[in-house]
Amino acid sequence: MGDPLYAHGIDLAVVLITILKVILTFLFLLLGVLLYIWWERKFISDLQNRIGPDRAGPHGILQSLADGIKVFFKEDLAPTEADRRVYRLAPYLAAVPAFSAFAIIPIGDKISIAGHQTYLQLADPPIGILFLLAMSSIAVYGVFLAGWSSGSKYPLLGSVRASAQMISYEAAMSLAVATAVLATGSLSTRAIFVHQSVWNWNLWQLGVVPFGIYMVAATAEVNRPPFDLVEAEQELVGGYMTEYAGVRFALYYLAEFMNTITVSAVAVTLFLGGPSGPHINFLPALWPVVWFFLKLFAFVSFYVWLRATLPRLRYDQLMDLGWKRLIPLALYWLLLIAALRVGDDAHWPWGVNHGALNAITVVAAAAGAGVVFFGGLGAAIRVGAKRVEEETARAGGVRA
Amino acid sequence: MDWVVFVISAIAVLAGALGVVTSRNPVHAALSLVLTLFGIAVMFVEQQANFLAVVQVIVYAGAIVVLFLFVIMLLGVDQAEDLEVEPLVGQRPAAVGVGVAGLAALLLPIAFGKWQWLSGQASVAGPAHSGTEPNVNRLANALFTRYLLPFEATSVLLVIAVIGAVVLARRPLHTERQGLTAREEP
Amino acid sequence: MIDYLPILAMFILAGIFAGVSFFASRLLAPQRPTPAKEAPYECGIVPEREPAERFPVRFYLVAMIFIIFDIEVIFVYPWAVIYRQLRAFGLWEFVLFAVAVFVSFVYLIGNGALDWGPLRRMSPVAGTPESMRSAERTAATTVRRVDVGTQEPAA
Repeated sequence: MGDPLYAHGIDLAVVLITILKVILTFLFLLLGVLLYIWWERKFISDLQNRIGPDRAGPHGILQSLADGIKVFFKEDLAPTEADRRVYRLAPYLAAVPAFSAFAIIPIGDKISIAGHQTYLQLADPPIGILFLLAMSSIAVYGVFLAGWSSGSKYPLLGSVRASAQMISYEAAMSLAVATAVLATGSLSTRAIFVHQSVWNWNLWQLGVVPFGIYMVAATAEVNRPPFDLVEAEQELVGGYMTEYAGVRFALYYLAEFMNTITVSAVAVTLFLGGPSGPHINFLPALWPVVWFFLKLFAFVSFYVWLRATLPRLRYDQLMDLGWKRLIPLALYWLLLIAALRVGDDAHWPWGVNHGALNAITVVAAAAGAGVVFFGGLGAAIRVGAKRVEEETARAGGVRA
Repeated sequence: MDWVVFVISAIAVLAGALGVVTSRNPVHAALSLVLTLFGIAVMFVEQQANFLAVVQVIVYAGAIVVLFLFVIMLLGVDQAEDLEVEPLVGQRPAAVGVGVAGLAALLLPIAFGKWQWLSGQASVAGPAHSGTEPNVNRLANALFTRYLLPFEATSVLLVIAVIGAVVLARRPLHTERQGLTAREEP
Repeated sequence: MIDYLPILAMFILAGIFAGVSFFASRLLAPQRPTPAKEAPYECGIVPEREPAERFPVRFYLVAMIFIIFDIEVIFVYPWAVIYRQLRAFGLWEFVLFAVAVFVSFVYLIGNGALDWGPLRRMSPVAGTPESMRSAERTAATTVRRVDVGTQEPAA
């Protein structure tokens, strides 16, 4: 348990290695965001048959760096109605969790520096993956307070909408993550990664459903398209950060991209085996890092593809999807996986192993439970919709 | 090392608590409450109760204070309060009385030398952490075997909470309403 | 506890990064505020309505329900760690818990508490000030002339 770096007490070398790791992770995140912004613009340009940035550096690769430098020279404004203290605090509450959440991601195997062994992973706390959920609950404050403290109409509407969206999808995301914990029996991200071997990913072990739920919920959690209602230009101008300018705006932008990278990295860790991959004898410590970044790259590109393809959801569709579809499905799947594992251990239902017959019985029982579960749910959805219709009619309106 | 962490988190807890009672703006008070809850989470970590620490952040800071903020928005009280008006008569003297009683309940065991009543040494479930077994496994073993009844009772409690929330926030279907009454108020 | 040291260091580094950025921007960026720049954003027109002071009760309801589901989900984690040791007993006790969750869920949905459908209104929203609907309010009267730095509408 825990990083072997701290197993033999703590001395100067250990502290220096820790600081080195922190700075490297920090630089990776900053550089990663710069490259990701460039890649997003370039890739989406290709998808839309445009050229995209092509002036700064080869293929415009320095464009986001140039933009980053530019924002420092932009005037920093606070609207007259703003609550200045909270207005200044809010970007910190967005940036700090964005940087920290990546800490739990394993990006490679064990290496040794100066006689000390350490994981290629910033931290492996006992709470493991729950740290991600804690950080995403802190990130809600960055969004909410930005909108509230601006003292302006659109940011306020945007932030209330955004925080309701973020908390709604947090439950579905937590359930999907819990399913991955179910496979391993440990909260530690390192243990979850080690548990999956080269191709035997959690993605297959758990059925594809929890992965799908995680991807949808995580996309909504970081407000990426098609769940970017938070900054729906037609309705809300720029959403909760409308009133932010200059470096403060840049920090929100940075946090948003960093969160996308982090949730992609978590998806890689939880469902796609993290840094595991074919073993290659040449430079064995290097390849896991390569596998990890290849998988990560596939995910972040997938988000760009989503943005180019899918139209934005309407708010009621968003809420319906989160509450009425994803949460019940995630709950059912969690219990299904648990029942299959426990049933497998105990050779249900006859106590002796009859091979496939056992599995078929358990699956049939689970399917029966599923019919009751989703049947009840469907009936509830119909009753609820009818009730709302009636209410609306009484209030003198018509449901569109 | 331990006491350094304790002192820093205790300062955060107390500063947050002071902020809650002295802020005139309810949103500032709610933010101070977040600081307090975060400090308590750090204290849990220091006590090696890792799981409780993260629950503290996820549930209290991440859900309950967000609800407070929503309620503040809902009621439109994100303005500085007028402290001259006392909405509940006798509320302030009662608050002082309850506060003094609470402090006495904390200090009396110390005065009588019963430290372990406060420090958790008297816990029936044993220490939060021992050997190599992670804290969450110990907690889970206690919760899902010995304390199963409270756990199941919690689920019933949560059902009641759901019903309570709906009853409070939703109008009964068959009350007469005229037009858009809610919107017509100035 | 030592496992949290890198996380603490990351908190501090991220905070310093944000603080230094703000400081650098203060040194490098121009500071020429005008009333027009500092006014709340309203697409160039003069804001006539204050930001909404009160929000629909549904947001409160969602936050309330979220707390309840968050607590329920939090119970899943310790169980997910040890459910194999608990065997069938653990599974059934958790199914019992999940049934309670599911019942409250069905109640919520059946009640329409999680419904956000759009409401098409038959009449104009009551309470709209007359000035917002008057014929006087044209593109020429609502545009703010930014260059004179005033919030008054053009005459």
